[in-house]
Amino acid sequence: MLTLRLAWRNVWRNPRRTGLTVAATVFAVVLVMVFVSMGAGIHEQMIEDAVRLSSGHVSVSGEGYLENRTLEQFVRFDAELARSLDATPGVAGWAPRVVGFGLLSNGPDTQGIAVLGVDPEREATVTSLPARVREGRFLGEAGAREIVLGRRLADALDAGLGDELLLYSVAYSLEMAYELFRVVGVMRLPDPALDRGLALIHLADAQAFFVYDDRVSEVAILAQSAEHTGEVAAAVAGVLPGDGVEVHGWPEIMPELVQFIFLDDAGMYIMLLILVVVVAFGILNTLLMSVLERRREFGVALALGLRPRAIFALVYLESMALAGVGLAIGLAIALPLVLWLVGHPIDLESEAMRGAYELLGFEPRISWKLEATHPLGSAITIFGVAVLAALYPAFKASRARPVDALRSV
Amino acid sequence: MRRTAGARHRRPLALALLALPLAWSAAAEELPDAREIARRAEDVLRGTSAYTEGEMTIVSRRLPVPRVVRFRSWDDRGGKRSFIRILAPAKDRGTGFLKLHPNLWTYVPRVERTMRIPPSMMLQSWMGSDFTNDDLVRESSQLDDYDHRLLAVEEAFRGLGGSGPSRAFVLEYRPHEDAPVVWGRIVAWIEARHATPLRQEFYDEAGVQLRRMDFGEVRETGGRHVPHLWVMTPLDKPGHETRIQIDEIRFDEAFDDAIFTTRHLKGSG
Repeated sequence: MLTLRLAWRNVWRNPRRTGLTVAATVFAVVLVMVFVSMGAGIHEQMIEDAVRLSSGHVSVSGEGYLENRTLEQFVRFDAELARSLDATPGVAGWAPRVVGFGLLSNGPDTQGIAVLGVDPEREATVTSLPARVREGRFLGEAGAREIVLGRRLADALDAGLGDELLLYSVAYSLEMAYELFRVVGVMRLPDPALDRGLALIHLADAQAFFVYDDRVSEVAILAQSAEHTGEVAAAVAGVLPGDGVEVHGWPEIMPELVQFIFLDDAGMYIMLLILVVVVAFGILNTLLMSVLERRREFGVALALGLRPRAIFALVYLESMALAGVGLAIGLAIALPLVLWLVGHPIDLESEAMRGAYELLGFEPRISWKLEATHPLGSAITIFGVAVLAALYPAFKASRARPVDALRSV
Repeated sequence: MRRTAGARHRRPLALALLALPLAWSAAAEELPDAREIARRAEDVLRGTSAYTEGEMTIVSRRLPVPRVVRFRSWDDRGGKRSFIRILAPAKDRGTGFLKLHPNLWTYVPRVERTMRIPPSMMLQSWMGSDFTNDDLVRESSQLDDYDHRLLAVEEAFRGLGGSGPSRAFVLEYRPHEDAPVVWGRIVAWIEARHATPLRQEFYDEAGVQLRRMDFGEVRETGGRHVPHLWVMTPLDKPGHETRIQIDEIRFDEAFDDAIFTTRHLKGSG
C-alpha cells in the first residue's frame, strides 16, 4: 500500500512530463478503439451487403454447385423442403432460386448475362434485390414473362420499361431455350459487374425456360446475423433429405470476401502496432528519465536496507499508474465517441470514394460496431505495453549499487 | 484440275528444299511439310466451299433419349462466311445461323427475332451440343491461326470403332499468339495417303486434354476421302457425346451471295 502511494506521488513529481505521456496513451487508446470498431463495423456491413446481394448467410445447393454453377447442379424444391426450412430454428428467411446463363438481346445489342429466377415474395425475405428497383417495379405474377435488369445492363441494351427482350440459352434438356421477356423494372446494384450482368425473372418462368421442373439451383437462407451462420448451416443440414445436396456458409460462398477482410484487418493491425510501439517508447522514456533523476534517492534507500525487489516493484507500479491513467481517460473519451459513431454511420459523399467502394461491390458507407472485446483488447494492449516498457528502467533502478549511486549527482 | 494445282504448289517448295543442307533435305524428303499436311486435311473437310446436309445427335445422361437436330449448311471458306438452317426438330425448324465475318447472327422464327451472338460467345455450346458456335461456323481456322509441326508417323493407327489400321501423320497445332482461339494446342492424326482427318485432341493452355473429336465412315466424295461421321467427346463431362452424321456433302460449289444475307436468315430456305 505504501509502495502504491509512493508510486502515485512519484508519477506526479513531474506533472508536465507525465501529462504528455498520459496524453500519448490517451491518444493511442482512442485511436485503437475508433479504428478497431470501425473495422468491425465496416466488415459487418460488407458481409450483410454481400449476403443480401448473393446467396444469404447460408446456401443449400446441389453437389458441386459452388465450383461449377451450371444447370447440372440442382436441388429438388418441393413443399416438404419448404416446410422443413420454415421449421428450422434460426432461419430468418429463405428463397429458392434458379441461376442460369444466357444471352439477352434487344435489336442489334446482345449481352451475356446471369439470369436469376426468383420468387418475388420470398426473395424479399433474404436479399435486397426487390428493394433495389429504381424504375418501374419488381417482378409480379408467375407466367407473366417479366424481367428486371440492372441499370448498366439496361443501358448496354438500350432497353427501357415495356421493351420486349429476347432471352436465349440452352435448357437443362439441352434444347435451345428462347423466350421474349418484357422489362418491368430497372434496379441499381452497387456492384458494377452485377449491375451490368444480372437479370431477374420469376422462378416459375425460369423453371419453364430452362425446362427445369421443380429443380432450383440453390435455396438462399438468411440467418439473424452473420455470427449465427455456423449454427444455422448445421441446423439446415440436419433437416435436409441428404443425397446430392450441400450446405455452405457465406465464408465458403464468398472466400474472396473472407480474404479481403483478413487483409484489411492485417493492414489495420500493423498500423495500430506501429502506434502502440511509439506509445511504448514514450512510456519507456518517461520512466527512464525519472529513474535516472532519482539515482541518489534509490541509492539512499538501498543503503538503508530497502530490498532491490521493492524498488523494482515501485517502478513497475509507476508504469502501471501511467498506463492506467491514460487508459482510463482514453476509454472515457473513446467509449462515448464510438457509441455515438455506432448510431451515426457516415455516408461517403466524394465521388472517388464512392467509386472505390462500388468497385468492390459495397455500399459507400463507413459504420462502426462496438464489441466487448474492443475495450478489453485495448486495456490488455496498453497494460502489456506498460509491462514491457517498465522492464528496463525497473531493472536499472533496482540494480543500482548504493556506493556509486550516492556518489553521483 | 486439283492435282495440277497441287503440283504447281509443290514445285517451289522442292526447289527451296534443294537449297538446304543435305542432312536437312534428306529428312524433308521423307516427311512432307506439316503445314502442307494440315492444309490438305482442311481441304478434305471443307474444300473452298462445302454444302452439307446432316444430323446431329446429342447424347447425355440428362436425356432419356438422345436429341436429334437435322440441319443443312453452307460453308464458304474463301468468303469467310457460312450459313446453317435447322430442319428438325419441329420446335426449332427454320432457326438459322449466319456468320458474316466477324459477326454471328441467329434467327429464331417462333419469336420472329434476329439476334447477334457476340464474339465472346463463340465458344459457347451450339444448340446444347458439345460443339461450340465456333466449331460450326468456323470463325477460327485450323490452318491460319496455328503453327504446325509433325510429331510422328503412326504406322497402324486405329480410328473410330477400330477402323484401319492406317498410316497416319501425327501433327501438333500451336496457336499464334494473337489468334482468337482457346486451345493451348491440338494434336491431329491425319491419314497419310488421302489426308483424311482421323482424330483431333484439344488441350488447354495448361496441357490438359478437354475434348476429343474422332472421324469415321470415310467415303470417297468429289475426289476426296471424306469422313461422314464426326464424334465429339468432352472429357470434362462424362456421359456426354455429340455425333454429326453427314448425309450429303458437296465441295467447291459457287454459292449464291443471297444465301449469306439477313433476308435469307429470316426466310425459310
